[in-house]
Amino acid sequence: MEYDVIVIGAGNAGLTAAATLAKKGVKTLLIEKHNIPGGCATSFCRGRFEFEVSLHQLSGMGTPERPGPLRSILDSVGVLDTLEFVQMDKLYRMVVPGLVDITLPANKEGIVSELQAKFPEEKDAIKKFFDFVWQFFMEVIGAFYLNDPDINKKKYPLYYKYALKDTQSVLNEYFTNPILKAVITPYWTYMGLPPSKLCFSDMAALLFSYAEFKPYHIKGGSQMLSNCLLETFYRNGGEALFNTEVQKLLVKNNSIYGVKTSDGAEFQSKYVLSNASAISTFVDMLDDDNVSGQVIEPYKGSSVGTSFFTIYCGLDCEYDKIGINEETNFICNTANPEYDYELSKVVDTDQSSFIVTCYNVFDNAMVPEGTSQVVLVTMKYADAWLKVPPAQYYDEKHRCAEAMLNNAEKVFPGLVSHIEEMEIATPITHMRYLNHPGGGAYGFDQYVKDSTLFISPKPPINGLYCAGSWYGSAGYQPTLTSGHSAAMAIVKDIRNK
Amino acid sequence: MNSEILKQLDDYDNVINEREVLKRYGYDYRLDRGLEKKYLERLHPRHITTKIIDIIEETPSTKTLRLASVEKYLPPFQAGQYISVNVDIDGIRTSRPYSISSSPDETAYYDITIRRVEGGFVSHYLLDSTKIGNTLQISSPAGNFIHNPIIHSNKLVFIAGGSGITPFKSMIQHAVNTGISRDIWLIYGNKNSEEIVFDDYFTMVAKRYPTIRYIQVLEEGKAHYNGYITAKIIKEVVGDSSNKTFFVCGPQGLYKHILKELQTLQLKPKQIRMEMYGVPPDVFKQNGWPEDVNSDSKFKITIKNKKEFTVTAGEPLLNSMEKNGVIVPSLCRSGECSLCRVKLISGKVYQPEGVKLRQADRRFGYIHSCAAFPITDCEIML
Repeated sequence: MEYDVIVIGAGNAGLTAAATLAKKGVKTLLIEKHNIPGGCATSFCRGRFEFEVSLHQLSGMGTPERPGPLRSILDSVGVLDTLEFVQMDKLYRMVVPGLVDITLPANKEGIVSELQAKFPEEKDAIKKFFDFVWQFFMEVIGAFYLNDPDINKKKYPLYYKYALKDTQSVLNEYFTNPILKAVITPYWTYMGLPPSKLCFSDMAALLFSYAEFKPYHIKGGSQMLSNCLLETFYRNGGEALFNTEVQKLLVKNNSIYGVKTSDGAEFQSKYVLSNASAISTFVDMLDDDNVSGQVIEPYKGSSVGTSFFTIYCGLDCEYDKIGINEETNFICNTANPEYDYELSKVVDTDQSSFIVTCYNVFDNAMVPEGTSQVVLVTMKYADAWLKVPPAQYYDEKHRCAEAMLNNAEKVFPGLVSHIEEMEIATPITHMRYLNHPGGGAYGFDQYVKDSTLFISPKPPINGLYCAGSWYGSAGYQPTLTSGHSAAMAIVKDIRNK
Repeated sequence: MNSEILKQLDDYDNVINEREVLKRYGYDYRLDRGLEKKYLERLHPRHITTKIIDIIEETPSTKTLRLASVEKYLPPFQAGQYISVNVDIDGIRTSRPYSISSSPDETAYYDITIRRVEGGFVSHYLLDSTKIGNTLQISSPAGNFIHNPIIHSNKLVFIAGGSGITPFKSMIQHAVNTGISRDIWLIYGNKNSEEIVFDDYFTMVAKRYPTIRYIQVLEEGKAHYNGYITAKIIKEVVGDSSNKTFFVCGPQGLYKHILKELQTLQLKPKQIRMEMYGVPPDVFKQNGWPEDVNSDSKFKITIKNKKEFTVTAGEPLLNSMEKNGVIVPSLCRSGECSLCRVKLISGKVYQPEGVKLRQADRRFGYIHSCAAFPITDCEIML
């Protein structure tokens, strides 16, 4: 069978790419190992609950009147009108028991005044810092989003100075109180690196994007988006194979000519777009004597990113009964993200900070009446979990869940007694279902040195394209965007020939 | 980004420096090829090839098959979980889920205990046509009918009907073997004494351990109680039910009846755990089944780009597909696990109550083929 393009993997990027290609009239085959589309963007049922797998605050949506970049992409793929998006008016609540408890609204003025009220001694610095973040980001927009043909240091001084800086050193320029610094940056967990290692531009982008375009949630959960993208793909003539694993990329003279699946079938195409992990694509699907050495060379310094330990809870009461009022809650053990980050490398959770998400605050369609769904998640690398003997795996799961729930009880008393349905996912679980090394939901660690500034997502094999968190930024908006961009690059290349 | 711009950014040299160093000392991911898969295989292999090492006659209609791995390793499981057994009977490839009846601490084998199902297909094959030494391909253990120490009570009431005893045998044996603290009331209903499975074992442990109580309920013959398992019996046996978690496993008939009984005990939903037990065998009698469709009704099924065949009403789509050589993965065959999910392009299917469809799947026309009964001609996409 011959296709114009074969897309490997039906994650966010693969689905957007496939939907984009089909919409452009390109004959596309989508191959997915799992039996459902979505990758991270899926759900599963337990008892009378349906749990959202990956927690997301969708960035870059904006309103219909003032659309953000993601809204435009979803519109161009043709899924915008089929889906319903719910806007959140808060960014998050952050609690360090005994130290701080603060809720930030999703707008700049609100954030500033809320922080000023809690940290009056650094009132001016707070105002200055947020003005600076906004100025910095306006420069980014001016230079890159508006495609300024003449970008230079004089015009964009903040960008040149801060683009490659880490978040912590910028915070240190403005603030002294470590609690204040921690309160501004809990979103580091959305990117997987603590402020000292996280590129300032990434943190600025997130703060700016959430405050300006607001965080969104997909009504009915992320599986709605995944199914919808697949539907668009089918409607435009796309074909898909589920329960099918791509085993090898077929390459001759440094050009791709198709793929071979694990059941031995071969499919021909001059273009392959991989949404599988970089390691699966470059190491498992290519032979050593082939080109894999050269292809993975740029990733030699990259390290496999974090996974998660997640507790999905279906409660037999409404969320406010246990004191949950916000959709996103950062419950921290300390106001020290660097220490929290170190804890992501061990199995134990008794000291781990974690996120408590409850979508029902905005979307009650997700649960039966009188119930609610709460998810606790903390960053965990897979390495430590891979050393747990399989025979002890289930006991470890329960032990770690219990420790984390005990800490959650301090902020949300009564939580445990109301849990009717529970499922626990470890890095091993994510590894199993995502087929990602280390169960990494953010791809490689998101260091700026490994970002698309320094590594091109386009590998040096003709016809091979890549998209998803392993080849750039992680998260919903970035992966959906990267799938769209890679698809458009292929369309352009086909038309040029 | 234009590389000229990039070069002028502050700290550019530092980043390049780091990249250069890492190029020399960085990690070659090719060295780890397959390593993580190996770990995953030890926990969740897709398939396990097992050998029947023993066949134990439990009752005239029930046997236990003892399965050891041909590769000498079986993944750990949680008491109460099941495996799916794949079989090829006269050219028809199908599978059936069976709870593991042995304890997780018996790591050398899995026991599955099979009762002959009237009009059954796979149970007859497994009971009549397998011998010691035969190989069987099974899935890795799955299922959520397990005791969660965080949210479930340690005081457990097990309500079993007939062959639904198997997960409880595993749970009780696990508690006995490992000494974990559990207070157990096993209430076991059967037609007559001949049908009681594991009677000797339960009698023995109940005699030896005061924390394990074994209560027989028989429709006919001498027992602790006669008739069906009722709220009255449960109340008499367990006393206060508000501090206990109830686990129920049995044939479809048991659920309908026992749910009503449990309702009178005013339990919270979280106190009741029900195991899946296939789809209703008498689907024609279910609520919402269309009146004009009966066992003589025939429909045309089209599998897009693959095949066309005719089915008789009353059979799950998955079974019909398998009979016609269309294979999709399957596991629970009770409408829960969603492995056999397919897309219904046109036509109508009847889906019994309790099928666990995702909201997004319902909206975009996906069905769980194991729990979907065609009631018109249908077009399906795999």
